[in-house]
Amino acid sequence: MAYNAGTMNLGEFEHIVLLAILRLGEGAYAIPIREEIEERTGRAVARGALYTALERLESKKCLRSRMSEPLPERGGRSRRYFTVTPGGLSALRASRRSLLSLWQGVEGRLES
Amino acid sequence: VSVTRDAVPPRTAERLLTAVLGSSDWTDTIVGDLHEEYVGRAAAAPLRAGAWYWAIAIRLVTRGLIARARTATASSPRQPATLNPGDSLMRTLGLETRYAWRSIVSRPMLSATVIVTLALGLGANASVFSMIDALLLRPYTLRDVDRMALVSYALPNDEDRRESVSPADFLDMRRQSDAFEHLSVFEWWTANLVGADEPENVLGFRVSANFFATLGVEPAIGRTFQQDEETPGRDTRVILSHALWQRRFGADRGIIGRTIEIDGRQFEAIGIMPAGFDFPFGAQLWAPSAFTADQAANRRSLYLTVIGRLGAGKTLEDATSQMQVVGERLTSDHPDTNRNRVARVYTLVQGMSDLGTGPILSMWQASAGFVLLIACANVASLLLARGADRQREMAVRLAMGASRMRVVRELLLESGLLAVLAIPCALAIAWATLKVIIAYMPPTIASFVAGWYEMDVDLRLVGFTVALAIVTAVIFGVVPALQASRPRLTDTLKDGGRGATAGASKLRLRSGLVIAEIALALPLLVAAGLSVLTVHRFLNGPQGFNPDGALTMRLVLPEVKYPTPDSRFQFAHAVVERLRSMPGVTAASASNVIPAISSNSGRSFEIEGQPIPTALDRPNADYRAVTDDFFTALGIPLLRGRGFTSGDRADTQQVIIVSDAMARRYWPDRDPIGARLRFSDGEPWLTVVGISGDVIHEWFNRRNYPTVYRPYSQGPGRQMALVVRTSGDPDSLASASRAAVRSVDPSQPVYELKSMRENIRVRTIGLQYLGAVMFAFGGLALALSVVGIYGVMAYMVTQRTHEIGVRMALGATRRDVLRLTVRQTAALTAIGVTIGVVLAVLLSRVIEAGLLGLTATDPRMVAGLAAALALAALAAGYIPARRAAALDPSQALRQS
Repeated sequence: MAYNAGTMNLGEFEHIVLLAILRLGEGAYAIPIREEIEERTGRAVARGALYTALERLESKKCLRSRMSEPLPERGGRSRRYFTVTPGGLSALRASRRSLLSLWQGVEGRLES
Repeated sequence: VSVTRDAVPPRTAERLLTAVLGSSDWTDTIVGDLHEEYVGRAAAAPLRAGAWYWAIAIRLVTRGLIARARTATASSPRQPATLNPGDSLMRTLGLETRYAWRSIVSRPMLSATVIVTLALGLGANASVFSMIDALLLRPYTLRDVDRMALVSYALPNDEDRRESVSPADFLDMRRQSDAFEHLSVFEWWTANLVGADEPENVLGFRVSANFFATLGVEPAIGRTFQQDEETPGRDTRVILSHALWQRRFGADRGIIGRTIEIDGRQFEAIGIMPAGFDFPFGAQLWAPSAFTADQAANRRSLYLTVIGRLGAGKTLEDATSQMQVVGERLTSDHPDTNRNRVARVYTLVQGMSDLGTGPILSMWQASAGFVLLIACANVASLLLARGADRQREMAVRLAMGASRMRVVRELLLESGLLAVLAIPCALAIAWATLKVIIAYMPPTIASFVAGWYEMDVDLRLVGFTVALAIVTAVIFGVVPALQASRPRLTDTLKDGGRGATAGASKLRLRSGLVIAEIALALPLLVAAGLSVLTVHRFLNGPQGFNPDGALTMRLVLPEVKYPTPDSRFQFAHAVVERLRSMPGVTAASASNVIPAISSNSGRSFEIEGQPIPTALDRPNADYRAVTDDFFTALGIPLLRGRGFTSGDRADTQQVIIVSDAMARRYWPDRDPIGARLRFSDGEPWLTVVGISGDVIHEWFNRRNYPTVYRPYSQGPGRQMALVVRTSGDPDSLASASRAAVRSVDPSQPVYELKSMRENIRVRTIGLQYLGAVMFAFGGLALALSVVGIYGVMAYMVTQRTHEIGVRMALGATRRDVLRLTVRQTAALTAIGVTIGVVLAVLLSRVIEAGLLGLTATDPRMVAGLAAALALAALAAGYIPARRAAALDPSQALRQS
């Protein structure tokens, strides 16, 4: 199935995950991603949910991953680092645009 | 002794994770991430990190399983559940498993309750099994351990008694038997190690040259003993354990060939054993056992433990019969010493096992079995309730021509799957339990227990748990499956079961389960109560001495430095004087033995004027040589006569003080003061000058045992225990006391420096474990059965909603309804408690045996616990009863 990144809808959690990866830049793998989200949003993130989201985002071509050298502190396994693809970026952009346009005119209601 | 290891996550959890997630690079990523996080956490708190890992693993596994079930269901919607007569068994089973899956996932709350209940029951059993496996079945990791044997003496009237062997007898055994390839001995050796560091007391053993060959172990570095090193003078060789080598000698390979000062003599270090080898009893040092001519002819002193390796083609039976012949020959050759000795051969594991461990572990296993049965009853009643909910479904399927066999099989498959799902949780529970059990044991004791650190979740345990889960699934699954598949078709189909109260047989079944739960829980509660009370009594009850405000320490004077009685007395005298002069100290004493330590000393004796039939029938008493302040320092009351004074010297009248139990036993109808006794023919007569209170030396078999006290000046030995009594905190005197000893002899180490309270705590650690474990089982049983009763009663009320509505419509008051429901609970509780009391009395007999007669069942306690359980059961039944009484009749009638 082909996705049109420009019109594709991101779920809220997917949106959050992509932003966290962007914020982290080079060193984005599951552990810091989860920490970043928990720190910024103040809510607990289930590991299972995060892996599911990462897998889904990769299959939607919003994310690309590469494996590091095997590391002793991981029992000889590699880290999987994520980067946001151009497709992921435009999905984020589209998401932001629609949210911002929806926000227009209602922001004042929140202040009271 | 701490072993540093790279932190590695619990292996079983990791394997489980990989197995469920399937091997893919994503699984690798996830497992790798968890590994990384684990390492970080383990550095701070290893125990908690392990628990964390298990929790995450279980969460991920559950998630993975549910996801898999969903995909399976989604990708094959409904249609494959139809089966054709010609389908293969595999296809049938596959489809039925999927069907069972769906049914479990569709009722998550119920399934979770069942799984948690089962996991608790299975986890309890798995923990105990792991202990039995590690401590009883295979405590030694030696290669071909089943080729090794232990030879000991038994008494003709006490087959289970395992006595050590005398040097002369051992040498004869070695010469006269060919069933063993190697026959060797070990004897205890408390070695005083002196060197660069502070002097230290180390557990060592004197062993035959072929000791290591007997066990089939090679040194990691250097060599073992040679035959000629078994001769006095050439025996100053020593082999170090890997742990001692690392800790004390910084793992320096150059130690080989250098000399080490032990007990005032220079020993040459010749070898280092491989890591992990510490046979027997956590040994740190081994030196050759060299007999002098006198010792080699000694048949009286029994202090050698004989172990052997069976020769090629020889069996344990061969060795047994041969040793019997040798033993009989020794008896006829040396009737005066060997008359009552019978040689016995055990496997090494049997022979080395502690006699108390078996009964206690069996008691735990039995209790864990009870917990599992209660869990089964709980789950069965939950499934019965669900079976009733599914009656319509079953009826439709049966009516459409499904065979009853197929329906039963599916329901059983479902039970089986539930049990399988409980396995990982059970293993996690077992893992956590074992970690806690291991962590709370003081290392000084744990090193004596072979296999203690081997307790872990391993493949054997997984196998055991899986097998037990399957058996369990059958136990809790069969009855509900049969019930659910036998609905009265017409009734059920007619109109959804309206109006029908649950059938009489089902009611009986469910009532039976409630009764069973209560009946099973009560004995466990009684066992728990009994154990906890016993432990409490032993820890805090009267000891015969004052355990508060006393600091104790032990030491062993080396023969070489302190060869004469006078040199030993001078040492004791000097040390006691220093201790006494420390600020805050009210009394100090030295003696060979003090209460609550791990060693004892006993002598046989004869009383003047009381004839003894034969030398072997001489009575026995505990023997203590004590300095004058001993009774004050320990707080043992002097009942009559006088205490010891500095006037009691080696050259004055030889005197003793006897304990109250001794006085009453051997002088039942006269005043023992002034009476005399002696320890053996050649020794002087000792005059009784006082009577002291009884003490509890050890809880299992030395409570108020007849004891003889002698002035230290008249019998100074090499083993010494010091007591310092203070008005303040005894622990604060520790370093000053150590310094006081060192000021008298700088190379003399002390060990077991701790407060008397701590001694008692360590000494009763086995009992405390017993109490804690039984308490946990009792609590678990209570919780499970109360939840079970609540579940059944709540369900019965739901089932009877319609009936209750009718009753209320016909004029029954809320009180009537409440009474009706409560009465039902009360009846079931009464029957359950009655059966439970009978079981409890039977079980408490087993417990009493397990506790080696330490305690007797108190009828008041049984009654109290029965009442408490009944109250809990009534409370559990009361909540649904109130709900029933609060029903609005019109709604109740409309409902269901």
